[in-house]
Amino acid sequence: MNLGEKIKKYFQEAELYASHGLLAEALEKYQAVEGLVRSSGKIRNRDGILNKLAVKIKETSQKLNKLDRIQPMREVNEDAQSLIKEMYTFDDPEAKGSAVLGGAVALAKFGQYDKAIEELNRLLEYDKLRLEAAKNILWCWVQQNYGEYAVSLYQKWRKQKLFPPDETEVIQAYFNELMDGAGVEHELEELECQQTIEPDSEVEDEDILDISAVKFVLPGGPRKGESIELEISFQSGKYIQMIIPRREKELTDSIHVGALIKNMIFYSPVAIFYGEGFVSSNNAIDAGPKKGDFSLEIKIIKIVS
Amino acid sequence: MAVINLKNRQIECKLVFYGPGRSGKTTNLEFIHKKFQKQVLGKMISIDTEGDRTLFFDFLPIGLGKIKGCDVKVQLYTVPGQVKYKATRQLVLKGVDGVVFVADSLAVRREKNMVSLKDLHENLMKMGLNIRKIPLVLQYNKRDLETKGLPVMPLEKMEHELNRQLKVPSFPASAVTGEGVGNTLTAALKLTLQSLQKEFKWAH
Repeated sequence: MNLGEKIKKYFQEAELYASHGLLAEALEKYQAVEGLVRSSGKIRNRDGILNKLAVKIKETSQKLNKLDRIQPMREVNEDAQSLIKEMYTFDDPEAKGSAVLGGAVALAKFGQYDKAIEELNRLLEYDKLRLEAAKNILWCWVQQNYGEYAVSLYQKWRKQKLFPPDETEVIQAYFNELMDGAGVEHELEELECQQTIEPDSEVEDEDILDISAVKFVLPGGPRKGESIELEISFQSGKYIQMIIPRREKELTDSIHVGALIKNMIFYSPVAIFYGEGFVSSNNAIDAGPKKGDFSLEIKIIKIVS
Repeated sequence: MAVINLKNRQIECKLVFYGPGRSGKTTNLEFIHKKFQKQVLGKMISIDTEGDRTLFFDFLPIGLGKIKGCDVKVQLYTVPGQVKYKATRQLVLKGVDGVVFVADSLAVRREKNMVSLKDLHENLMKMGLNIRKIPLVLQYNKRDLETKGLPVMPLEKMEHELNRQLKVPSFPASAVTGEGVGNTLTAALKLTLQSLQKEFKWAH
């Protein structure tokens, strides 16, 4: 086989590999062709061929990089989530016989963390399922790198005395191991006696613009899933406060202290930005002109863009 | 794990198409979906794909009708083949009753086949299953590409490298044309049902 035939054969192979989605193999062949062309000065239109090959190599590399960047565990649509839950709701020993818990655990394992947490939160109400549900909720938060939030949530449960002493021991041992595995520093002893732990904010007070309003989807309660927009009544750095009129009590029932709110939109007079917030307080106002209304405070813990 | 209801004479089992990325697992299911319409019980579902790459899994439910007095239903799944989706493969394998290993005949994919077969072995082991004992069929896919001028491994070589120790049924195939797909599926179902019969004695 002469050089020309070899170049042609390799190029055809590269094109076929590319058409079959075998991008690494295609790239290797394009590079081999480029090497052959470079090694000979006698090829007609050599520079033109090399330019075309450079384009092919660049395009193939870009496609490969794009594939590498895909997150293997990302949120899929609601129908797909229902399907995962349905398909994997078989008798799972880890789920201790509960089909509902099995489905929620399957969602968590497939990386559908928000949906899994939503389902698992519901199961906290059932004595027999509470422990497993709580363990899986903590696992979901830690998997998403929200170790600190998991600690604050665990503290909330301890303060509420959600678990009897024997279960507290079990879950603490589990949580310790989980946090050690994730390399998160933590102190879980006597948490219920400590002041409420709030997840640290990634943003400095001075970096946050004056915010005039926020928009987010209600994370739970009777109006769960509804998108609401609230005006900011007071702001101190990363803490924003909103007044919710008494007639909107349903709304405050949907936002519990300690909840993490993702995908928040912050409106400032000069820009719109996105982030996450931690509900730090939600109280009824008991004096003054706003008496009977509610004061909701959110700590901004992350700015995404 | 198969669901066997002897009272209602119903069997539901799970067959997983395993193999390296781009070896043609989804194409196998697509062909089955198209060709065996009478057996197909529902639509083929592909959960989360990027272009033509499976990131989660494909699912196709089929019914084999009455076999020895039992109504047999089979859930066909594919796994994502790329190495980085190991965790997803473990999830999809959960409860598996039989496996079709789809190997890529292209010479450049030789190592990928071996890595994927090793991965199958490890994942089964984690679930307490033995690759030598589970119903398993090998398919040497993309035989048609030889005619397009791409270097394809001889069947003997593939048999030697992948099936020397396993000694399971193997089939040359071209999932895009459908050649060998039916044979592979039939053999896998036969082995799976025989294994379930041995375990549960459902056919008297």
